[in-house]
Amino acid sequence: MTPALDPLLPGGILAGGVLAAAASLWLLLPNGPDRVGTRRLGMLLGLLALGAFIVTGRRLGGFGEEAVFLIVSLVAVVAAAATIVSRSPVYAAIWFALSLCGVAGVLLVLGAQFLGVATIIVYAGAILVMFLFVLMLAQPAGLAPYDRVSNEPFLSALAGAVLLGVLSLSIGRLSAAPSACCGLPSRAQATADAAAAAAPPVAAAVDPLAENHVARLGGELFGRHLVAVEAAGVLLLVALIGAIAVVARGEGAHASMGDDAGRAVR
Amino acid sequence: MQDLSPATLLVLVPLLPLVGAIFTVLLGRVLGGRAHLPAMAGIAGAAAVAILLLAATARDVSPAHGPRAEPIRPVEMIATLWNWASFDDAYAPPPGSPAAAVRSVADAAAQGRTAGDVRGFSIPVALRLDPLTATMLTIITCVGLLVAIYSTGYMHGDPGYPRFFALVAMFVFSMSMLVAASNFLLVYVFWEAVGACSYLLIGFWFTKPEAARAAKKAFLVNRVGDFGLAIAVFLLWMTYGTLDFHDTISPQGVIMPGILGQTRLADAAGYAGGAVGTAICLLLLLAACGKSAQLPLHVWLPDAMEGPTPASALIHAATMVTAGIYLVARCAPLFAACPGALTAVSIVGATTALVAALIGTVQNDLKRVLAYSTISQLGYMFASLGTGTLLGFTAAIFHLLTHACFKALLFLGAGSVMHSMGGVIDMRRFGGLRRVMPVTAATFLVGALALAGVAPFAGFFSKDEILAALHAKGWPSAHDSHHAVVAAAEGPLRLAAFATDTGARDAVGLDALDRPETWRLLFWMSLATAGLTAFYTFRAVFMTFTGPTRVPSGAHGHGEHGHESYESPAPMTLPLIVLAVASAAVGWLLFATNWLSHFLSATPSLTAPAVASTAVPHAFHLDLAIQGTLAAAIGIVVAAIGHLGRRSDGPQMERFLGPLQTLFANKFYFDQIYAALVVRPLEALALVAALVDRHVIDGAVDAIARIPVAAGGIIRRSQSGLMQRYALAGVMGVLTIVVLLAWQLRG
Amino acid sequence: MNSPQSLAMLQNALTVGAILFSLGLVGILTRRNLIVMFLAAEMMLQGISVSLVAWSRHHGDWGGHVLVIFVLTVAACEAAVALVFVLQAFSRTGRLDAAAWQSLREATVGRTVDRGLPAADAAPPPFPTLTQAGVLPAPNEDEPLQREHV
Repeated sequence: MTPALDPLLPGGILAGGVLAAAASLWLLLPNGPDRVGTRRLGMLLGLLALGAFIVTGRRLGGFGEEAVFLIVSLVAVVAAAATIVSRSPVYAAIWFALSLCGVAGVLLVLGAQFLGVATIIVYAGAILVMFLFVLMLAQPAGLAPYDRVSNEPFLSALAGAVLLGVLSLSIGRLSAAPSACCGLPSRAQATADAAAAAAPPVAAAVDPLAENHVARLGGELFGRHLVAVEAAGVLLLVALIGAIAVVARGEGAHASMGDDAGRAVR
Repeated sequence: MQDLSPATLLVLVPLLPLVGAIFTVLLGRVLGGRAHLPAMAGIAGAAAVAILLLAATARDVSPAHGPRAEPIRPVEMIATLWNWASFDDAYAPPPGSPAAAVRSVADAAAQGRTAGDVRGFSIPVALRLDPLTATMLTIITCVGLLVAIYSTGYMHGDPGYPRFFALVAMFVFSMSMLVAASNFLLVYVFWEAVGACSYLLIGFWFTKPEAARAAKKAFLVNRVGDFGLAIAVFLLWMTYGTLDFHDTISPQGVIMPGILGQTRLADAAGYAGGAVGTAICLLLLLAACGKSAQLPLHVWLPDAMEGPTPASALIHAATMVTAGIYLVARCAPLFAACPGALTAVSIVGATTALVAALIGTVQNDLKRVLAYSTISQLGYMFASLGTGTLLGFTAAIFHLLTHACFKALLFLGAGSVMHSMGGVIDMRRFGGLRRVMPVTAATFLVGALALAGVAPFAGFFSKDEILAALHAKGWPSAHDSHHAVVAAAEGPLRLAAFATDTGARDAVGLDALDRPETWRLLFWMSLATAGLTAFYTFRAVFMTFTGPTRVPSGAHGHGEHGHESYESPAPMTLPLIVLAVASAAVGWLLFATNWLSHFLSATPSLTAPAVASTAVPHAFHLDLAIQGTLAAAIGIVVAAIGHLGRRSDGPQMERFLGPLQTLFANKFYFDQIYAALVVRPLEALALVAALVDRHVIDGAVDAIARIPVAAGGIIRRSQSGLMQRYALAGVMGVLTIVVLLAWQLRG
Repeated sequence: MNSPQSLAMLQNALTVGAILFSLGLVGILTRRNLIVMFLAAEMMLQGISVSLVAWSRHHGDWGGHVLVIFVLTVAACEAAVALVFVLQAFSRTGRLDAAAWQSLREATVGRTVDRGLPAADAAPPPFPTLTQAGVLPAPNEDEPLQREHV
């Protein structure tokens, strides 16, 4: 299938998909008692939206590539949607973990070997676990009332739809042709010109898709971006100390309020 | 040093009191109890110069020898100080208008160009010295000096002592300039100035609400008259093309005839008659009514008695209220061209005299009696002016002079009484004061006799001349023999010329009033007023000075107990004595020598053929004198029956008047009528305006002010404190920008 | 690298990133549980990461990768500090509700309360309860020490 499809149809399908996604979110978001019919309708619309996106997606070369990419991206997207519509925050955290796996898959498909794995390790392994700890400390038994209502679901879904629509349409208009829009030449275009002019291949040393990915990433990081790396390390230290400091002060203040807390007991 | 011509000295008369006033203002606080010195020095200097000028002018008047062989020559000396404003080509009269038609006879013959071609506008600050001005200046400055001397005693210890003398000096300056100015606009300026000084002096004790109210009333009522004067000045400019009294020479070399200049006076057709002329004259009459307190603008003068008594003596008896008389006398040629206006003047004057006399009979406040008496006597002067004859004009000025003497005397005497009685002036609260205030009583009696018109005191002669003037108009046949002599003596300027001149112009309806029947009625009214004058004057004298001696509790006495004297100190009694001598002697002296009439007939205004042709030989009319004296005698006798020797708070004679008593006591309800017709509608209008201002205009502004508040109230509801809503709003804003950007950047 | 396939890969990956970002945005704006809000924020970062890596792959250089690594780092710091604050907020109000903090509203605007709250989906467990002793104090939402439960 050539990329040169009927110009208007993909746009229309895309717009329809976006609207369907917005509607499905609106229906699925917690807004009062959980009604089965609403949920089913929402899921149906969500499927429709996914289908629209799949249809208007670009064709990659080869069936295998397409299938892998489709699977991992579906996992990521569906799990992400499930995260935000789940009524129980614990379920939301689990769905988020699944979404992270999907995202890691996408990153691996894109050739970011280190980052794909780092996502799993850092996010799913550390950050998500921290969230779960907090939930353990703070979540009341049963569903809290504030988990059963949403804040302005319609307007938020609309906002999301507008954003997604603009982004999708802008992405759809990306092309290799130079300066079709806004006259800002991208490096890709410049490289294309350079390629057209002198036609040297991209230097293997910087191409992420070449071999020795992680080593070369490390070399890049500690070479060109050494200062930033050190700063990031300092940032981590500061965050750690800050978190401890806030907790320590908060507990001291909380302890001193122990006498006062008695009169507020229900 | 240039020679001191009389015209140069003329400048000193207003200048010295002005300098005195300025010094009093600057140094008053420093001088303290001696703050009267600069002002008194200025007025004294001015008085000396005025007498010098009187002598100098009298020297210029051609002497009277038997039957006049030639018309009397006008005497005037002009002093031009500087040019206040000057515009060339200010006005082009449309062809055929009275302004274009009125032209200078002499000039047309000389150059063939007419004054109507030249239309520049210039106001020279010029002073003119002629017999009328010299007379008025003498009166103003001399009475002013006596009042200043009196005030050093009367106002002693008053915290506003310097302010009083500054105001008196300012007033003398303003009044001197008014009578000396040779330009109608300058007259208007100083007309207002004397009004302002009067306001400041009436409201001298402004912390007293009645005084403040009286000052306001005086100023506002005067304003009505000033409006008339302003319109008259406009009409004069449009009719005559100039506002100067005297002839001037324009830059083009053309003689501009002044309104009262010798060129125009010699012109038989020099003055506009008909509707325009009558309008001008009636407006001048309105101005005179305002300033001289004639009907219907007389309501301010009785209330003006709230001011200090010396101020009342100076302003509201002798000088300021005579400004109206002066104006009409000065504009005699203008009035002479409109007989209807002249008749109106006399009717207003005689009616005012009678009404004021009736009101004055029931007043219990001594100063109020004198105030109504002033109104009444001014009415006499207007009645005399309105006859339009030379006798009438000179009699009015003569009466002005004698009235200044005895009325100032009476007011200062009342002030002396009030000062000694501790501020009490209600006659029912004291009595028999002749035993404890002999000097005041004696001088007051002299003044009362002069006012009542008893021979040989001053008022007798001047009132006699007024009655003679009225009688001559009412019974013309009786005076024909006199006119025949005059007609034979005159050359081309004949009495007949006067009669036919008015017939040549458009006759106004008012002219129909000029019939002998009208004048007879006015004569009888004046005679009745004479009787009433004598009655109320001596009622006041008897109530105050005869009967058992009673003194109110707050009176200032000095001397041993049992022989207490309440007489006023020397600075107050000396002017009383001087004025008493003047009241006694001036009338007889001037009448016997006929000096004043002859002197005044040399005034340019009174040399106009229309006026001068009515000259009659000087005579003593015995029949009129008898009628006048009889009326006075009846008045005095009735007053004596009612009040001589009785307690002043006993039953009054007025109970014989019945319902008329209420009418007179309420001043013919003039104040109530004004309140209903003028004051209440204006207050209602002011209330409406205030409501509109507060609710409509301010309401609109407040409504506009409430819009942001209301808008804020609506917008404020979005500040709920919920951060997710804030984030949503932020996101929507960002999305708007993103969408716009994408739209702009689409290929 | 500018073959149509490369471009297609780019576009697909960017689409995935856009979807993840939008879902995260909706989640933050909508859900009231503080933890779920942070999960959604992390999801937005995931979407950004995918986009960055896709661009880096398209351009053939390391820029995107490096940026994602730093994003990862900052996300970790942010999560740590933020969760501390969440726990502080919980200790003051006793619940993880974003709508519990409304005291910065305008003085004339009333407190927004949930109306018509649906009944709890699950019945509370049948714990033995003692009878109440005394009168319950009146609840005051703005009282910082007020808690729904200890």
